[in-house]
Amino acid sequence: MNKYLYSFAGLAAGLSLATSAMADDTVKVGILHSLSGTMAISETSLRDVLLYAFDEINTAGGVKVGDKSYKIEPVVVDGASNWPLFAEKAKQLLEEDKVAVTFGCWTSVSRKSVLPVFEKDNGLLFYPVQYEGEELSKNIFYTAEAVNQQATPAVDYLLAQGKKKFYLIGTDYVYPQTTDLILYKYLLLHGVPIENIGGGLRKDADGKVISAGKYVPFGHTDFQQIVAEIKQFAASGDACVINTINGDSNVPFFKEIVAAGLTPDDCPVVSFSLAEDELRSMPTKDLVGELGCWTYFMSLTTPENTSFLKSWYDWLGTETHPGVIKEKRVVDSPMVLSYDGVYLWKQAVEKAGSFDVDKVRAVLESGDISFAGPGGKITIQPNHHATKNVYIGETKANGQFKIVKTFDQVYGEPFMLKDLDAKLAKQ
Amino acid sequence: MKPLLKFFVIPAGWLLLALAAVAAEAPSGDTPAIRQQLVQTILSSGADQQKLLGGLSETGSKLVGEVLLSWSRGGVYLYPASDGSQVPVLLEDSQDATGKARAIRISDGQFLKDNAGKELRFGDSELTTADTDMRLRSTIRQTLDTLDLSSPDMDTRWSAVTKLGNSQKPMYVPILQARLAKESDATVKRAIQEGVASLQLNDHDPAAQITAIKQLQALNSIGNLQTLQKLAADQKSDPQVAKAARQAVDSIQSHIWWVNFFGTLFRGLSLGSILLVVALGLAITFGLMGVINMAHGEMIAIGAYTSYVVQNLFGTGFAFSINLPFSILGKQLGFGLSLPGLNATGWFYQSYFLFVLPMSFLTAALAGLVLERAVIQFLYRRPLESLLATWGVSLVMQQLFRMVFGANNVQVNSPTWLLGHCSLNDISFGYNRLFVIGFAILIVLGTWLLLTKTPLGLLIRAVMQNRSMASCMGVRTTRVNMMTFAFGSGLAGLAGAFLSQIGNVGPSLGQSYIVDSFMTVVVGGMGSIIGTVYSALGIGISDQVLQQLLGSPVLGKIIVLTCIIFFLQWKPGGLFPVRGRSLD
Repeated sequence: MNKYLYSFAGLAAGLSLATSAMADDTVKVGILHSLSGTMAISETSLRDVLLYAFDEINTAGGVKVGDKSYKIEPVVVDGASNWPLFAEKAKQLLEEDKVAVTFGCWTSVSRKSVLPVFEKDNGLLFYPVQYEGEELSKNIFYTAEAVNQQATPAVDYLLAQGKKKFYLIGTDYVYPQTTDLILYKYLLLHGVPIENIGGGLRKDADGKVISAGKYVPFGHTDFQQIVAEIKQFAASGDACVINTINGDSNVPFFKEIVAAGLTPDDCPVVSFSLAEDELRSMPTKDLVGELGCWTYFMSLTTPENTSFLKSWYDWLGTETHPGVIKEKRVVDSPMVLSYDGVYLWKQAVEKAGSFDVDKVRAVLESGDISFAGPGGKITIQPNHHATKNVYIGETKANGQFKIVKTFDQVYGEPFMLKDLDAKLAKQ
Repeated sequence: MKPLLKFFVIPAGWLLLALAAVAAEAPSGDTPAIRQQLVQTILSSGADQQKLLGGLSETGSKLVGEVLLSWSRGGVYLYPASDGSQVPVLLEDSQDATGKARAIRISDGQFLKDNAGKELRFGDSELTTADTDMRLRSTIRQTLDTLDLSSPDMDTRWSAVTKLGNSQKPMYVPILQARLAKESDATVKRAIQEGVASLQLNDHDPAAQITAIKQLQALNSIGNLQTLQKLAADQKSDPQVAKAARQAVDSIQSHIWWVNFFGTLFRGLSLGSILLVVALGLAITFGLMGVINMAHGEMIAIGAYTSYVVQNLFGTGFAFSINLPFSILGKQLGFGLSLPGLNATGWFYQSYFLFVLPMSFLTAALAGLVLERAVIQFLYRRPLESLLATWGVSLVMQQLFRMVFGANNVQVNSPTWLLGHCSLNDISFGYNRLFVIGFAILIVLGTWLLLTKTPLGLLIRAVMQNRSMASCMGVRTTRVNMMTFAFGSGLAGLAGAFLSQIGNVGPSLGQSYIVDSFMTVVVGGMGSIIGTVYSALGIGISDQVLQQLLGSPVLGKIIVLTCIIFFLQWKPGGLFPVRGRSLD
């Protein structure tokens, strides 16, 4: 038994005193993430990286508007994995704290929940997590991966590798359902016959396909039957699996895949919800060679990423914010896109010379705002999405990715369904 | 199709085979003879060279693959030796500052040295390359493709065969046929036959096509089903061919039906075994003793976390520290524990799971003992209070797991002998699934023996039937209660050890199984062990069958649950109702 005897409560108190002392030259910025509940595991990391970005900017002199410079004062609120609560907290941020901008949300349902609030109060939200598209609000900027910056590049890669059969599996909610429907149409458009798309199709009364792929509820654990089906599907040796399962159901899924003898050589699985952060609690030894597709991998060796990682770990070593876990931390794409968002906003504010939402939005929509982030250059497009690099990686035993393919500067396209429908109708 | 009996006889044998397979290592094919062969091939020309290349593909050596690949890309160089002969060399990947690299002699893998023993360095333009022409390169390509066919590793051979079989290039037919004559492994043999037949499907001669179709039909080739279906539907194909293809499609589809049938049965059995393992402890604490134990799930989690700790003790050790969320006199309070690891490797590390089983039983039994002494002994006659109290305990324990092990799931690595699978007639049997079935049989047998054949079992049954009477006869009922509860909790711990091999280990592990456990016990009939067995297997198999029929995991579960509701309306006492004092 050894005893840990130290205190940091005093330090934390000192820090909060210090921030309120210089209140006149600060700008309030909201952080809206779940710090408790199911999503806390993922979203807390985003809170941490945002605090890091603010500290970094404050140390470098703050946000310069006109000839004054403002320190960022974070207002952290907890959405508690409770979607209606997200809307209330958003309202609090906009109406009571009067924040200049908010960074937040992870799940699509939380974003949909706060969207009317941001539109009503004319707020500004930066959303950093891969999502299904089909949305464009004038008050939200999506640094997130759109479907054509994650799902379709992965399919392009697999097609180029000679894969002919695609099995779609996911958790039953809006992101996997929409993504798989888009992929289903995308595959048809690329000449993959309908019988080579596995997982099953659901049609409405008119015979129009409304859902493609196999869906399991959150927290599902028994994948025997599904994996047996995949095994038969993959018997011809040219199949792959597109996995949009979210959360810890991935562990029993991959354990079953390994037990069935499906190796990445003959039937690779590409997962859209497993990044470095999630791999920390996965049996990565069994996943070597399985694929991931993101707009950032921690294993990138660009100078931007190297210096970013160095200062991030330095910050972790010295920071005093309460509740930030310091051990075994990694960085992944949603974190980097959160970080990028902060700098894109800062640039836009400095260029607009004001924190006013309408002015900042006009600058962002001009398409001139770009930032050399850890994952490469990221540029905000007039349609509120971002052009950025897309990487495909193979999982390594240490939970990192080996980058096997890079798509340079992919334009973010939120509305793919309509476009695909039109193209399919032409065929 | 093999008789059903095989499903039960074979598992033990497979487990032994799996252990043997781990022990045996494939020999390496890197010998001086192969190096000489390579040098000869590079230095010769014309027809000789073609023949020698063919010989090289028989070696299955990795070295040959590497050298041939760099040869076809112009990476093999010829160094003129002092005696006028040519020495084929490769240049090392790492170059020095002047762009020069050390040369590796292919004949012995050593660095090239001058007479003084100094290593020679060359830039890539200083040496002449060993030339290749288009014809030679195509032969090299073919040799590379077929090289893996001779690999000593069965899996490599198998995947090489599958790759060639799927290549749609008829030129590989003779190569595969030649290999078939030499192949000794049955799995690879079958893959070769399948590959050859699949290549011959594209033949222009209808007779050859029909032979290939017949062959595929005999092999029940699921992988070629789609091609056959296309062939059967294609208007342009020969009517005889189309007919044969239709027959083959029917035959393979009925084969798939049987595969699914037995596969589903096996999966149902394995799901049932998991339910059984999970619910058996509850069948004792709830079924026999009548304690509504909401903390049963956390007992399972204790077993699972014990596996994690034992695994770490075999590895690098285990340490944790907790800081209490309050401080006294300005000092943060906390405690921690750090245990050194054994740093075991190889089979010793792989055997950790054998230690996990008793350890998880004991830890959970101990926790059960403490729970019984501290809370439950006061609540035997008050079921509602015991429900609330144990639920509170379960929340406390979940928080404790979070504090000690963190909110994230922890990783429990499966020992290699539990990974993998074997297949019989296209039905795959995962070793972990076979293990859980055998394991369930063992613990049911053990529980039954304990309850019926031991003095403790006699006392347990006596106390459960009539506590006051047993007490009058001099039985120390409090002690028996304590032991029974500990035993039930220990069984839950064993379940946790097993669940760590197939799913997540996290603070809320117990929550996901508590409902299933109660459901199994209630359907089986409280107080009846055999009832729990039947109900677990029944629920497991019907769940998998419905999933197979409906194609949706959710719909199947809904139907099973609805059926259970109706069943309990009809027979509230479950499958095997027991009239016992504890239920009155």
